[in-house]
Amino acid sequence: MTVSTVAPATVEGGVGTSARRPDGILKVAGEFAYSSDLWADEMLWGATVRSPHPSAEIRAIDITAAVALPGVYAVLTAADVPGARHYGLEVVDQPVLAIDEVRYEGEPVAIVAADHPETARRAAARITVEYAVRAPVTDPEDALSRGDLVRHVPVRRFASAGGTALTADVVVTGTYEVGMQDQAFLGPESGLAVPAEDGGIDLFVATQWLHVDQKQVAACLGLPAEKVRLSLAGVGGAFGAREDLSMQVHASLLALHTGKPVKMVYGREESFFGHVHRHPARLSYEHGATRDGKLLYVKARIVLDGGAYTSSTPAVVANAATLGVGPYDVPTVVVEAYGVYTNNPPCGAMRGFGAVQACFAYESQMDKLAAEVGLDPVELRRRNAMTTGSVMPTGQLVHGPAPVADLLALVRDRPLPPAATGDPRERPGGVANTTRGEGVVRGVGYAIGIKNVCFSEGFDDFATARVRLSVVGGEPAVLVHTAAAEVGQGLVTVQAQIARTELGVTKVTVATADTSVGSAGSSSASRQTYMTGGAVRAACQAVKATVLARVGRAGELALVDGKVVASDGAVVASLVDLLGNDVVEETVEWRHKPTRPLDPVTGQGDAHVQYAFAAHRAVVDVDTELGLVRVVEIATAQDVGKAVNPQAVVGQIQGGTAQGLGLAVMEEVQVVDGVIRNPSFTDYLIPTILDMPPMAVDVLEMGDPDAPYGLRGVGEPPTISSTPAVVAAIRAATGRPLTRVPVRPEHIAL
Amino acid sequence: MTMRPITFFRAGSIDEAVAAVSSHPDSAFLAGGTTEIDLLRLNVVQPTLLVDVNDLPLTYLEDVDDGGVRIGAMARMSDVARAPRIVERYPGMSQALLLGASEQLRNMASMGGNMCQRTRCSYFRDGQSPCNKREPGSGCSALTGINRGHAVLGTSEQCIATHPSDVAVALVALDAMIRTIGPDGTNAIPIERFFLRPADTPSIEHPLAHGELIVAIDVPALPVARTSRYVKHRDRASYEFALVSVFSAMRVDDAGNVAELRLALGGVGTVPWRAHRAEEALIGRPATPENFAAAADAEFADARTTPMNEFMVTFAKRAIVRELSEVTS
Repeated sequence: MTVSTVAPATVEGGVGTSARRPDGILKVAGEFAYSSDLWADEMLWGATVRSPHPSAEIRAIDITAAVALPGVYAVLTAADVPGARHYGLEVVDQPVLAIDEVRYEGEPVAIVAADHPETARRAAARITVEYAVRAPVTDPEDALSRGDLVRHVPVRRFASAGGTALTADVVVTGTYEVGMQDQAFLGPESGLAVPAEDGGIDLFVATQWLHVDQKQVAACLGLPAEKVRLSLAGVGGAFGAREDLSMQVHASLLALHTGKPVKMVYGREESFFGHVHRHPARLSYEHGATRDGKLLYVKARIVLDGGAYTSSTPAVVANAATLGVGPYDVPTVVVEAYGVYTNNPPCGAMRGFGAVQACFAYESQMDKLAAEVGLDPVELRRRNAMTTGSVMPTGQLVHGPAPVADLLALVRDRPLPPAATGDPRERPGGVANTTRGEGVVRGVGYAIGIKNVCFSEGFDDFATARVRLSVVGGEPAVLVHTAAAEVGQGLVTVQAQIARTELGVTKVTVATADTSVGSAGSSSASRQTYMTGGAVRAACQAVKATVLARVGRAGELALVDGKVVASDGAVVASLVDLLGNDVVEETVEWRHKPTRPLDPVTGQGDAHVQYAFAAHRAVVDVDTELGLVRVVEIATAQDVGKAVNPQAVVGQIQGGTAQGLGLAVMEEVQVVDGVIRNPSFTDYLIPTILDMPPMAVDVLEMGDPDAPYGLRGVGEPPTISSTPAVVAAIRAATGRPLTRVPVRPEHIAL
Repeated sequence: MTMRPITFFRAGSIDEAVAAVSSHPDSAFLAGGTTEIDLLRLNVVQPTLLVDVNDLPLTYLEDVDDGGVRIGAMARMSDVARAPRIVERYPGMSQALLLGASEQLRNMASMGGNMCQRTRCSYFRDGQSPCNKREPGSGCSALTGINRGHAVLGTSEQCIATHPSDVAVALVALDAMIRTIGPDGTNAIPIERFFLRPADTPSIEHPLAHGELIVAIDVPALPVARTSRYVKHRDRASYEFALVSVFSAMRVDDAGNVAELRLALGGVGTVPWRAHRAEEALIGRPATPENFAAAADAEFADARTTPMNEFMVTFAKRAIVRELSEVTS
């Protein structure tokens, strides 16, 4: 196979250009069809009965009144699940419908299909469930002492000369807390299940990984996988919240039971119960260093509340543990990370995935250490910055670029924004505040984070791409078909860019993602451009090899602008002539280099594929009297290896940073005794355009030789370090310790 | 969630609207709907007849004889906020309107509806927790629950729900009059008597008879209001309820004494809170930060707090002192 990492510069809309998104105008104009817009003739509407209790035994379920309602076609409970009665991403432990007990508020107990959504909800309300309420376990430490452990990941590495004693001239300790964040995607869970003539099901759904859904749905329906066909419907954001199943099995069960298409759409409130959240965390750290600020050891204990079911908690715990000291060279590391079961809402994947919680703690510690040894926060970080060739706490050698010091220097050396001009819009609190500047203090804070890209710990991580080249309407045209989920990040655009670059053909169509092609893996772990991008590139190269073989001299030929071109630039043939009516199609399953499991005792092992880094500098104005914060500017620098689509890269960086800012100052799912108190966008606050400042973005492109085009996953890193940077800036302005996020006015000003 | 059939009736005249509601026990008026439709969906309110008053000729804004303004009950918040006579004569009221909700909601929401806006207390709105306002006698979950945003003034053992309105804060400071037409004829209710503190009956928020419709709000002439202001402090920069808000209109005489003062607070009371004690403490006294602080202390002397919302007392006092200091500087 021909391997070329150099993109022909002439391709319009190829790799490295900000090719226009095919969904862009539709989305801005409000015309894009999301999964909630799906429609089928004669379709029914599903509704879900959910537990009002965080923990209870189910004594009886009476569906009589619901079934009796005109317009109701089916009422199903756990007993009606024909196949496996549980599902799960990593551990199969979550009931499709509650069996004898409920373990969190909002757990599905029964489902209804009716000819109208109102009828379905009315019928759902007529189902009476007799509960024997139990006291919920809601404190993660209680859960840990009870042994309700999902996973414990230790990472223990000792400096060759230092023995196992943890001693240093300078020691700083701290305990930090991270509240429960919601992904807050705008398109609630929804999909349409259509029964097929072969007894199977066609499911159209907004999800992150079609094949993992297919596997779970098929098992629960008791059908072979080939009879459960999934197609991606328009996804209104994901951020990890669509990794676990929501309505997929429910709608399919109802469709098979009634023989009619069934649509389910969650409302906003239901959505807060319909997906997992970011793990709340409590993190205790001890950093030991020399008097000149060189780290000697880091000891940490991290407890993550996984809620009622396993979801992706095991992998989140591993991330928190293995990335738990940050992008620094630390000779001795002792990290104990735990994920526990409670009766709180299940927690699982969210952008940053375990690295977010750890970064808030270790970066807070780095600032504390800088103050203790009298160093500038950036200088302290620079002295400890990892580089290519560094060894992670897991013993893994960092092969690729690790420009930690460079990224820090980039954000530090940016000119600082000017002082506030007195324009009321620049005041903390905006025009609604009065202060003319007295009591307003500016603060600057820095943070840098590290994130693994792709799946880890020996997981067989691959992506499949099918690429077809043919002549359509007298022009060469490419059809790219993968099962990779476009969740808004721009993956459809990127796939087309890669095909244009590899095949020298402008006209590229990306087919709707579905399960008629092999798995692409999940749109998560910042992996999809790397993995599906890699698969598309490999499939294109296979197509190219086949085409050029027809001409002969394949090694000397290139595809440019729809023509086969010799190395001297002479046109050998046009693709139109060469192909005629033929179709050249290749399907490739593509893998990154293998990873290894972690040793269960020492946490040692080459568990990760690639590391990605981003640094942030936040500048804030704080009204110290009323605790109001205005983030004036955020500067960020991120190494992306290769910006496949520069505009999309910057979009990811801005969006990720905003999500981190939200966690810093306002976003928290409030849970009391296992009950969510703010399941609405009126009460769960996310930043508005007025809360998000202008950003100064530096994108570094230091190619990773192992990755397609040298690229590095982009989506998660910006979410990780923006939270601690904003909090560091508030600390700098106020002198407050601020050990918990989100920070609220009363923590700043009292 | 229970679904109930609701009869919808669009009234063509005030009399028709009043007759429709007053003759039906489970009925309610429907104005802009920005709160009421939510509450219907949440099962917090359960009328079986909705009488739509959006077609009634109540969107006017007109001068009244004494130099005040009469605002029709169906005038939209956004229209009132930008009306020149409001901006000129009562700038603090315009600011209060513009700092409330979002532009989309302000385009829908009516002034009369705003006066009947319900609390954001999550225990009231969840439709199931014990709540004396929603289900008299069931108890108050907020007393021991999440109550960071709950009221510290005007509370009772039965209810600590915060009144959410911004513009009503301005209107209580301005001594507005609520004009109504009901089954027993017309009525005029001084605005501070229109908002009832919870006391023992949190479910009764207004002294309105069933079927009594707000038709207008009269704002009296008040020269000092021409320099009035409204400031609002909150958890994010836009589209969020107040932690504390302050409406002020103050005149300081040549000797440096407070000659006139209208002061009201949002976000801290069970009703839009006229700061009478602070006004009394300041009128005739020198306009100094020390006196402002003493006045703020007096206003909150009887504040009742919880561990989660006690910070509000400090914040509100600081907000008052700062606001009055800004006005005098």
